[in-house]
Amino acid sequence: MAERGVNRRTFLRALSAIPVLGALAAFAAPLLRYLKPNLDPGLGLPEGRLRSLAEMDLPQGEQLALGRVEELAEPWSSRIFVYTQRYAQYTPEQARVATIPGVAIRLPWKVSFPGFKQGEEPTDIVIFSRICPHLGCIFNYVPNWREVTAGYGGYVPPEERRHGLMACPCHLSIYDPADRDRPGRVLSGPAPRPPYYFTYEIRDGVIVITSAEPGGIA
Amino acid sequence: MLDRVREWLRERKEKLDLFDETNVDRLDNPLYALGHIVYFSWIVVFVTGVLLMIWYEPTTHGAYNSILRIQHEVPLGWLIRGAHKYAADMLILAIMLRIYRMYFLGEYKRPNELTWMILFASLVLAMISGITGYLLIWNQRAFWAAKTVLSVAVYLDQIPIIGASKFGSAIAFIFLGGPAVGQGALTRFYAIHFGISALLLIAVELYFIFTRRKRFGLSPTAIVVLLLMIVATSYIFPAEMGRRADPNRTPLPILSDWYFLALYQYVKYTPPLWAGLGPGFLITYGMLVPFLDRSKGRRPSERPFFTVVGVMALTYFVVFTTLIMFNIAVIDRDPHIVLVMTSVVLVIGLLLELRYRRRRRAAEAAAPKPPPRVVGARPAPTAG
Ligand code: FES
Repeated sequence: MAERGVNRRTFLRALSAIPVLGALAAFAAPLLRYLKPNLDPGLGLPEGRLRSLAEMDLPQGEQLALGRVEELAEPWSSRIFVYTQRYAQYTPEQARVATIPGVAIRLPWKVSFPGFKQGEEPTDIVIFSRICPHLGCIFNYVPNWREVTAGYGGYVPPEERRHGLMACPCHLSIYDPADRDRPGRVLSGPAPRPPYYFTYEIRDGVIVITSAEPGGIA
Repeated sequence: MLDRVREWLRERKEKLDLFDETNVDRLDNPLYALGHIVYFSWIVVFVTGVLLMIWYEPTTHGAYNSILRIQHEVPLGWLIRGAHKYAADMLILAIMLRIYRMYFLGEYKRPNELTWMILFASLVLAMISGITGYLLIWNQRAFWAAKTVLSVAVYLDQIPIIGASKFGSAIAFIFLGGPAVGQGALTRFYAIHFGISALLLIAVELYFIFTRRKRFGLSPTAIVVLLLMIVATSYIFPAEMGRRADPNRTPLPILSDWYFLALYQYVKYTPPLWAGLGPGFLITYGMLVPFLDRSKGRRPSERPFFTVVGVMALTYFVVFTTLIMFNIAVIDRDPHIVLVMTSVVLVIGLLLELRYRRRRRAAEAAAPKPPPRVVGARPAPTAG
C-alpha cells in the first residue's frame, strides 16, 4: 500500500513536470533559434522564391558614374566614393541595403586588375572597397608613405614601394594598391587578403562602377 | 562516478566564497577587502544603470543625443553616468586584483576550485558587459570596437571540422542580430548589457538569502571612502563622449576601454583566427588552473611554473597596454619577439619547477620521517 502511494506520488510528480518542461521548451525554442545564423541566401524561404533571392546575394548595386577619366589624371591621385549595394537577408523586406565606401586610385604604371575586364587588359586605375578585409574597419588611402610609417605602426616600405599606400587604423594592416602581380597586396599587418575590389568600365571617358567583388560586405 | 562528482560539488559549494565573505575577519588587510569591493561596486553599477535607463534612448539616432542630455541637462546626470562608468571600472579592477591574489597565493586550490571558477567567469562576463555597454554610447570608439570584436568571432569558422557548424558566425549573429552593426545590434547589446548584471545579481542575492551567509563586510567608513572616490573621479574626469559613430570613417588611433587594450594590441600581432583562439585559450587556462596545478604548496615559491606564468600574464597586460596607448607596433618584428620571449619564459618556468621538485624529493629522502617542511597551510587530506 505504502509502496503504491510512493509510486503514485512519483507518477503525479512526473505528470506535473510535463507542463513545466513544455513551458521551458516553449521559452527555449525561440532563444535557440538565435543560434542559427540566417545569412545563407534564401534560408527559410518558400521553394519558388529561393532562386531569385539566392541571386540577390550576389552584388546588386546600382551602377555608379564616378567621374571622367581626366579627373584622375595625376599619378597617385585618388577619389573616394560610396557605393550602394543590396543583398538578400531574411528580414521583412528580404533585402538589405549596404553602403560600401571605396577609393579609386590612378597608378603611374599599368597592372592587371581583376576589376577591369577581369584582369585581362592592364589598367592604371584601380578601385578598391575601403572595408578592411581583416575585421571590417574603413581603411584610408595614404598618398604619402611617410605618414604610414609615422601613424600606422612603423612599417617602412622598401625602396620600390615608397608611394601611395592604403592603411587601416584599427590593426595597422597596410596594402600596396600598385603591386604589379596582385594589386592591393598585404604588406604588413594581420589582414588575411587584399581588399575587395570594384569592377568598372570606362564608357565614353567616364569611369562607371558596375559591381563589387562578391563577399565583400562586412 | 556520479556520486563522486556530487560529493565534490557539495564540498565546494559548502566552502563557496563568492566575495571573500568568509574572510571578513581579515578586513584589516585591503587585499581581502577586494571581494567586498567587487560586490559594492556591482551594486553601485546596478543602481546607477537603472537610473540611466530612464533617460537613455536605445536607437541609433537617439542614443548619442540622449547621453549628451544625461551628461549636460539632467540634474546630476553627469554624476550618475560617471558613477556608472567608474564603478564598473572599479568592479573590473577589483575582480582582476582578486584573481591575481588568489592565483599567486594559491587560493584556488581545494576546496576553492569552484569559487575560483565562478570568479574567473565573472571577469569574462564583466568584460562582455563592458563591451556591450560601451556600444550603447554610439560613438566612434563604440562602433568600431563592436564591429571588430564581432568580426573576430566570424573567423572561428575557419577552424577545421568544428568550424563547419558556423558557430563563429552564430556568436556574431547572437550579438548583432544581423550582418552588421546597426539598430539590431544596439537593441541586443542593450538587452545583454542589462541582462547579465541583473540576472546574476538576483542569483547572487538568492544564494546569500538561502545560505544565510554574511555577504557584506565593508565598514561604513570604507563605503564612504569608495563613494567619495567615485564622485571625485566623475567630477574631475567626466565620462567621455567621443565623437558620434560614423560607419564610413575609422578614426586613428582607435582605443577601447582600458581592460581591452592589451587584447587589442594582441589582435594587431596575430592572424585573425588566432585573435579569437588566443583569448579562448587564456580563458580555458584560467578556468582549469585549479586542476592543472597539482602541486601541494600554496606559496608562489612552491609552484614555480604557475608563478612564472602569472607574472608573464601580468607583464604582457601592462606592456601591451602601454604599447597600444602610444600606438607602437612594428608588425613585422614584434610578434617574433613576443613568441620567442614567451617560449623562453615558459621553458625557464618549467626548469624552475623541475629543480624545485628535485630538491624537494632530495629533502624528503634525506629525512625519511615526516617531511621537514610543513607544506602549505592545508591540513593533511583525510582519507576518502
Ligand atoms: S580591421 Fe583593418 S587591420 Fe584590422
